[in-house]
Amino acid sequence: MGKSQVKGTVTSLSSMFPAEEVQKAAKMVEDKLSDKQNEMNQLKEFIANNTSLINLVQKLPDELHHDIMVPFGKAAFFPGRLIHTNEFLVLLGESYYTERTAKQTVEILKRRGKSLESKVNTLKAVMQDLKAEASFFDSTASEAAEGLVEIREYEEDNSTERASQSGSLELETPSVAEADNKMGASEDDEYARIMSRLEELEKEELAAEDNEENLEDEDEDANAVESDGNEDELIKAAEGDGDEDEWTKAAFHRKKDECYSYLDHGQRYSESQSRKQLQQFNGKEPIEEMSNKYKHQDLTNQFASTGLTEEPVTKGEISHGRIIQQDTKSLSPSINASAPFEKKSVQASKSEFDSSKAFTGSIVEHTQNLDKSSVGTNMTSLQSSGSQPSKPVSRFKMQRK
Amino acid sequence: MDSLRQEKVQKFEEFVDRRLKPDLVHAIAERDKIFDQQKIFSDLRKNIENLEKNSVTSLRTLVNLGSEVYMQAEVPDTQHIFVDVGLGFHVEFTWSEALKFISLRKEKLERQIEEYTRLIASIKAQIKLVCEGIRELLQIPEEKTVEGRVF
Repeated sequence: MGKSQVKGTVTSLSSMFPAEEVQKAAKMVEDKLSDKQNEMNQLKEFIANNTSLINLVQKLPDELHHDIMVPFGKAAFFPGRLIHTNEFLVLLGESYYTERTAKQTVEILKRRGKSLESKVNTLKAVMQDLKAEASFFDSTASEAAEGLVEIREYEEDNSTERASQSGSLELETPSVAEADNKMGASEDDEYARIMSRLEELEKEELAAEDNEENLEDEDEDANAVESDGNEDELIKAAEGDGDEDEWTKAAFHRKKDECYSYLDHGQRYSESQSRKQLQQFNGKEPIEEMSNKYKHQDLTNQFASTGLTEEPVTKGEISHGRIIQQDTKSLSPSINASAPFEKKSVQASKSEFDSSKAFTGSIVEHTQNLDKSSVGTNMTSLQSSGSQPSKPVSRFKMQRK
Repeated sequence: MDSLRQEKVQKFEEFVDRRLKPDLVHAIAERDKIFDQQKIFSDLRKNIENLEKNSVTSLRTLVNLGSEVYMQAEVPDTQHIFVDVGLGFHVEFTWSEALKFISLRKEKLERQIEEYTRLIASIKAQIKLVCEGIRELLQIPEEKTVEGRVF
């Protein structure tokens, strides 16, 4: 595809990782590192003492008596002798002592040495991790100072994501992706919820066209039940790679058969949005703002025709999702990531829904190209929704348009 | 005018925090060390007096070889005791000599403690003085001694 299919974000590294904070983080890691180093030194000292004691204990039984200066308190000595040179009183801890021979004492001390060694090894591993962290922070700080910029490009085939990141940035991506994943996970739930509401709305519209509002209630209940059960699947489907693409493709094909011309757009669009983008989407707040602004507009537009003004709340939420899709074009590209996510999650849920619920709501489209087509398709969808046993997937794909 | 005052106040505060307070901490630490030594010697004195009282001639003890591994030791003759007189020297004493030495040592330690106590008191007074100066600069109304410790 041409440039129109490529969306990208350019983020200055310094805005994502402010230089000061990175330096602070680097210092913290260095402090921790020095603490661990001190502990390591102490442990090494213990080990050295232990080995020298082992030597001593092994040598003492060579003689019957040893002449020594016996300490008397901290400031005085008595000349004396060591007797019973094969009997050692060893402290086991918690004021428990045991009398042991030299050999047994040596064994005890060797076991102590082993445990000390294992402690040293774990401490070494921890220190290595800290060092890696510190080097990472340092490199980030230097890059942020240089004004490096992170460029993300989104294309159809998902393969060109994050096209122009610096190499070291990839180190960050795990942590960033993690954070985004967590955000994505929480957002997934929200989107799933929104999509379920959307589905309910659509069902209502369908029912309104086909029957009276009685059917709507039934459908809504069924939808609510299904949507609740499907939220998890939605999330899974949304985060699953590849499956959604195939699924969306299939749905799109079906939609084509159902005279939804804009499915092509939606298909392309869904493919262009990778899940990673979704997971890295952080623009939830602007979406909410947008939805608040446009809530009323969409409500009147979308629901006046269906005559379902009785449930402004649920519809509003659905329209919220729709609005998001509509206005994403005007928002930063990051918001676009959410829309396809919604679409995908919706698609996943839709597949669970009964096919009789056609999509009748407005369709939000991200790309500028598709906006006009989406308007047209909205109208057509509204008109033709009643006559089609739309598959759940397709409904939302149409939404995307 | 105000900025000048602020500067002065800041300087005073810095002085207190950077010079006087660490000095105070240092002096207190030194004094504690001397207290410890004093305790050691008084313990020794008590032990010697005990030995004398019970006319103990020989002694069996447990000697710490390191890392809390003990071995029995015998002292056949407790008449002669080697006491640490400082600078790495140990002098062989009899009991009575040892006791005399210990009392002499104690006097010396007490004098040292007194010195440190005076030093600590002067540092505390300086800190209080500087705080008073800050208060005057800021024209905070004078508080009576009810306030307790300023710093």
